[in-house]
Amino acid sequence: MSLRSGFATFAGKSSYWFLHTFLHGGSSLPGKITLKLDPNILKSLGANYDVIVITGTNGKTLTTALTVSVLGQKYPSILTNPTGSNMEQGIVTTFLNAKRPKTGRPIAVLEVDEANVIKVTKYIQPKAFVFTNIFRDQMDRYGEIYTTYQKILDGVALAPKATVIANGDSPIFNSKELPNPIQYYGFDNQPDGDFKAKPNTDGVLCPVCEHILHYHSLTYSNQGKYFCPNCGFHRPELTYRLTKLGEQTPTSSTFDLDGHTYKIGVGGTYNIYNALAAYSVGRFLEVSPDQISQAFTANERVFGRQEVIDVDGKQVTIILVKNPVGLDQVLHMIGTDTHQFSLVGLLNANYADGIDTSWIWDGDFEQLANLDIPTVITGGERYKDITFRLKVAGIPDSRHIVEPDLEKVVEQIKRVPTERVYVLATYTAMLQMRKILAAKGYIKEGLGV
Amino acid sequence: MTYELNVAHLYGDLMNTYGDVGNILALNYYAKQMDVHLNVKVVSLEENFHAADYDLAFFGGGQDFEQTIVSQDIQTKKAELTKFIESDGPLLAICGGFQLLGHYYIGANGEKLPGIGALDHYTLAQNNNRFIGNIVIKNQETGETYHGFENHQGRTFLGTDERPLGNVVSGKGNNGEDGTEGAIYKNVYCSYFHGPILTRNGDIAKHLLVAALKRKFPTADFSQQEALPIPATF
Repeated sequence: MSLRSGFATFAGKSSYWFLHTFLHGGSSLPGKITLKLDPNILKSLGANYDVIVITGTNGKTLTTALTVSVLGQKYPSILTNPTGSNMEQGIVTTFLNAKRPKTGRPIAVLEVDEANVIKVTKYIQPKAFVFTNIFRDQMDRYGEIYTTYQKILDGVALAPKATVIANGDSPIFNSKELPNPIQYYGFDNQPDGDFKAKPNTDGVLCPVCEHILHYHSLTYSNQGKYFCPNCGFHRPELTYRLTKLGEQTPTSSTFDLDGHTYKIGVGGTYNIYNALAAYSVGRFLEVSPDQISQAFTANERVFGRQEVIDVDGKQVTIILVKNPVGLDQVLHMIGTDTHQFSLVGLLNANYADGIDTSWIWDGDFEQLANLDIPTVITGGERYKDITFRLKVAGIPDSRHIVEPDLEKVVEQIKRVPTERVYVLATYTAMLQMRKILAAKGYIKEGLGV
Repeated sequence: MTYELNVAHLYGDLMNTYGDVGNILALNYYAKQMDVHLNVKVVSLEENFHAADYDLAFFGGGQDFEQTIVSQDIQTKKAELTKFIESDGPLLAICGGFQLLGHYYIGANGEKLPGIGALDHYTLAQNNNRFIGNIVIKNQETGETYHGFENHQGRTFLGTDERPLGNVVSGKGNNGEDGTEGAIYKNVYCSYFHGPILTRNGDIAKHLLVAALKRKFPTADFSQQEALPIPATF
């Protein structure tokens, strides 16, 4: 470490100690200070680590957490960045806070924002990249899927030796030639048919000949065993496979990967993809199937986003929704509940939520009409938008309560006829809701995200 | 339902960003209240569009890449789409769909890409800037106020036989210069509004449906449909 880096590291570490001790904060500021003093700091901080970079639109956080658990079964020292600290400053802070391991070469599993991959690879040569998926996300902030993928590739271009472990079911990850070694994971549990994605799906053009892709089997959105009937472009050979899909409930999923049965304590097909990604990294780094199984069952903590809150006897689950594909998956997941439930939709349109609420129309709320939901409540700062969305989706007025004020939403929740309640909320609406629930003593901390 | 309308969802599998499909959902929602059943069909690449087969058409916005592909394919549908428009067929076009009905637009890499020139506008680009945000406009003829969310790089300039959908009250509009937003030509409504437009502005949905009904069933009485109240949703 150079004298400059050494000084910068010292300054950053002290600022973390100060912030952490006196202000109960300190996730990105120490990184900011350190970067200011030495812009190349990541080079010296990351030099001694085997780095795994996890990026993509959805599933970064859970994939990162699961990968840490999986690798923890075999490797003694694993560093990771806390949820949300996936930009350059947060990553620098993560390294600053790391304790020097006593033995062996440590591993760093980093969740990295799509546009920040290049800020990491400028200084660090990762051992592997994991690409989860690229979906249409709050487009006022992120732009189109092809632009997003290009940002990731700009970063990958600086690390041509790193192995890319990519979601093989997503056509975009097979659209550009890369010098890197590539391994794909995907779902291989269906007999071949011939399907097209739903009309309102993003990214269905063949990257070679620009015809509409077909699928032998589809999981959701534009993911599956795709092929182009025009030019023969098709899903690449998979290295890691989901071979069987077992029982799915809102709180658990059972499935086979390469012939071994696994169970995770969380619902949703999208989370099975996250588990499959973590499994792939584990297998890549020679963690055994038994160890992976252990990691999946042992670690309840990583699924914290779906904690159940007791509100005077109502079992309330708050789920963050931020884009159409995620929303559809959440709707599908709660639809697997065998108990009757009530539904609450809270919509805000602040910067962190995405200021354009149009995306709720890309979400398939129409599937709710098939579920027997006795009460639906809509609220939040943009309650009019979500209220009309659900009206159009066929929720009858007799079962629909409109309540903009979140304090009153809590009171309404206590009166619904079901024990179970799912609250789907955008980011700031979720924070507001948690704050109210904390103030009323239903949860301990306001910011459990 | 007493009436049936055939709706072409132009390139619905490619031109579908920012919730534009919500316009189809809103059309369905209001059509039901008007005793009308809609048969919606996606008409996409290498598929024929016959003007005579459809009573209403919707053309949404898309990502840059998809729009370049559509810009090529739509040339094969140019004659029939023009025929549909000239024979007073009601059509709603949003963002990229709006641009492609005009003479040309400038693509993401600065290249000039053709529209079908059925309407007399053209679209230029702007450097490193997009018009993003909430927008409100007012239609001078009807007095109706429309709400939406705009997110576009293109700057569109209307031709002499087009009227704007409205004049900008707040926001940027077609080009940020002349205070116009969208376009009306015969029964064609164009706009940059997402939101989507028909979910926040049910009056436009009503105009489109009533126009389609009157055109298809010229002797029927649609005074009830025309009187359908449209409560505010925004």
